[in-house]
This record gives sequence, C-alpha cells and structure tokens, in this order.
Amino acid sequence: MSRNLKITLAILAVAVAIGLISLGGLRGRIQRLAQSQTSEEQARREVLAPPISTPTDVTVTARVYWAAGPDRTAPFEVKLPLSADPVQRSKQLLHALVTNPPTPDQRTIPADAELLGFYILPDGTAIADFSDALASKTPSGILSEQMAVDSIARTLEDNVPGLHRLKLLIHGQEMDTLAGHVDLTGFFDLNPPANSGAAPLPGNRTTPQPMTVPATRPTRPSQ
Amino acid sequence: MLLAQQNTPEPPSSQQPPMQQGLPAQPPPAALPPGPVIVLDPAHGGTDPGARGPSGTVEKDIVLQYARTVRAGLERQGYRVVMTRNDDSNPSHDDRTAIADNHRDAIFITLHVSSTGTIGTARAYYCLLSSPLASPASSTVVTAGNPPPTLAPSGLTMWDDAQRPYHDASHRLADVLQGQLAQLFSGSPRASTGAAVAGLRAVAAPAVAVEISSISVPDATSLAAMTAPLATSIVKTIVLFHPVNSVAARQ
Repeated sequence: MSRNLKITLAILAVAVAIGLISLGGLRGRIQRLAQSQTSEEQARREVLAPPISTPTDVTVTARVYWAAGPDRTAPFEVKLPLSADPVQRSKQLLHALVTNPPTPDQRTIPADAELLGFYILPDGTAIADFSDALASKTPSGILSEQMAVDSIARTLEDNVPGLHRLKLLIHGQEMDTLAGHVDLTGFFDLNPPANSGAAPLPGNRTTPQPMTVPATRPTRPSQ
Repeated sequence: MLLAQQNTPEPPSSQQPPMQQGLPAQPPPAALPPGPVIVLDPAHGGTDPGARGPSGTVEKDIVLQYARTVRAGLERQGYRVVMTRNDDSNPSHDDRTAIADNHRDAIFITLHVSSTGTIGTARAYYCLLSSPLASPASSTVVTAGNPPPTLAPSGLTMWDDAQRPYHDASHRLADVLQGQLAQLFSGSPRASTGAAVAGLRAVAAPAVAVEISSISVPDATSLAAMTAPLATSIVKTIVLFHPVNSVAARQ
C-alpha cells in the first residue's frame, strides 16, 4: 500500500469519525427545530392575539360550542374569565373557541383562523371579522361549514346578551360563501324570538346538557 | 336585484333556460306533460371542483353522476327534469337559480358531497333565512306577525328574498326527503336541517340541498354505490311531495 493511499484512507477515517460524532448533535438540532415549528402557531398566536383580559373580568362558566362527533356541535361548559363589556366578552369567547377545543377532533374553526376584529352595532348586529384561514382551511361542505358558523353563532348567543344577528367577514370583506357552500352574504340569527318565523339554527336546542371541560387547559397546538 | 314577477307564464319550450349547454335534446313541446319541473343542480363544476377525496375524486364529478341517475328516475315517473349543468361547466349561483325561477311550478334540488361527516349518511337541508331587523336603528326584530315586505313597490320579488314565501314548503320537502334518506342511508338524521346554503335564497320555488357524506371514503366506488339509494330517495320524495302533479304527469 502506497504512502499516499494510507494518508487518504486516514483522512477519510477521520472525516467519517467526525461525521459520526456530529451526527448526534445534528439529530438534536433537527428535533429542536421540529419542536419549534410545532409551537410556531401557538407562539404566533400569543404574539398576535394574546388572551384578552379586562378590568371587569369575572370567571364564569361559559357554554362554548365545539363538535360532538362528526356531524353536530354541542355546548361544553368551560370556566373562562369574561369581561362585562360585550365586545371584549365576545372576543374572549371566540378566542377560546378557536384555541381551546377539548380535543383536536372537536375543532370547528381552523387553528390558523384569527379573529381580526369584532364590533357590535346599536341594533344588536354582531360583526366578526376573521382572517383568511377561516375560509381557506374550513373543510368544504355544507355540514362542515355550517358547523363552523353554528359554533360561532351559538357560542355568542349563549354567552353574550343583547345580540340579535351575526355577520361574518373574511379579512374585512363580505364573502359569497365560507368555503363554497354556506352563504356569507346574509346574517345569522342570534336569539331569535319564538314567533319570529325564522328557521332555528341547526342542532338540537332541546338537549342543553353541556359537557364540562377542565378550566385550565393548555392551548393546544394546531392540527 | 329584482326577480321577474312570480307566476309568469312558462317560456316556450323552444326557449332554453340559461346555461343548459350539453343537455340532450328535450322532447317536443306537445309531448311535455303537465306537472312540476324538477330542476336538478349538480353543484360546482369547471374550475370549482368542490370537495376533494383522498384518491383524487372530486365532488363536481360525483354529483353530476348522481344528477344524471336521478334525472332518469324522475323521467321514468313522467316528470319534466332540467339540469343546471350536464357537463363540466360551472354556472353561477344566479344562473342556476334563474332556471328554477323561469318555471311556474318548479322544485329545485341541489346535490352535494361533503368532505366531513359520518361516511354513508345523507342530509337534506332547507334554506335558513335570517329575520331582518325592523329598521337599522331599532333593536326590534321583525316577527312572523310583522313580516318584512318581500315585494318591491313594482310588484316584483326581491331576488335575495325570493325563497322566503317558499320557506315552509321547502322545509316540508326537506323533511320528506330526509325521511326517505334515513331509510336507505343508515345513521342519517331523522329530520332535515336548516342551513344558509348558497344559491337557495333566491329560488322562488320549493328548494332543498342534499349532501352525501363523504368524499373522504377510502374507496371511491363507495360513492358510486350511493347513487341508486340517493336516486330512489329523491324520486320517492317528489312523488310524495307532489302527488297530484305526478299523477297528472303520468297521464
């Protein structure tokens, strides 16, 4: 074996040894990077949409509507600090609706969806302005889109008095549909009077046995 | 937007409703029996595929197959059937609606496949209408005893409010249809659901949506297998809902 060949083999052996030694560190870096990506949505939400607290917050048992199976929504009782101000209260409720479903399968609103604005007009019209993700990441279909709208409308209906109807905007704009099926050009009734002649919101209003959700749950990562 | 006044005479048969490209030739006018016109609307089409399945199946193709089968079943019963599309076109919601609104005695059925829900179930929807407020500055909600006007001063119906006079009929039709679906699609609900389905609000006729769950079946042949029970459910529903005209149609 020539001297040059020995030197080459030695260099290669050293390089392989260095590679093996650094492999462990590289794997650790990849794992840390993956963990940081998992929590990226959570971190972004904490920066852009931190939990809202107001001086009038009182912890109450709220009824938040999440999916109860693949075909319907149902109220879940959850302890939430809620403001006396209806606008702030609505924001707190919708923040909880988006961020804290009991399980990922019970999510009705895409994890990436953000509430960009919320307003209440003097006539009791609530206007909720969501980010594009509400439209782009809600599964297409009458059932899934209506469950998304239903969870928003009924969560507000059960916890914020004085609201009569809901208008949903996407990034400040009126959209024809949520994801191709449910019409967003109109309004959704909230607290319709019994003799209004308006169709009730879908779902069984006569089964108000809410499921209790632990009050302190960590914000779940996106699905 | 205003809608043409209701109960306007049906246009001559030679005058095709809008957006009927690709439809087979209709029977001559003299052969057309009396009775309702069933407007079948395969949702989506063209660049709008609707829901997408894991194997590449798209809603627009499945619902077109469903509509063709339903059409054949209804025509065997003697009904006149018009489809809003019979190819890969994508008429607007207004164009689809106009086909029903151009007929004096129509029933509108739009067909969908969902991307969620319990696989093998089916749902019938009627249009969920909101209650307009009495005035922008008032918190009083208009009630059934004080309904908002649906007619413009000219006597024309407001386009976006055309479904309101037909709301109860649509609800009944959806309930009948849901009853039929529940018999053939195990696990389906017993009662229909109200939903703000796009395109129904401007239909001046009984109007429902049907949605099959779901496009996410692992094997696309399962969706094809739902064609026959869906067609049977719809045909039976129409016969039950419009028995007088269906009898007349067979004569």
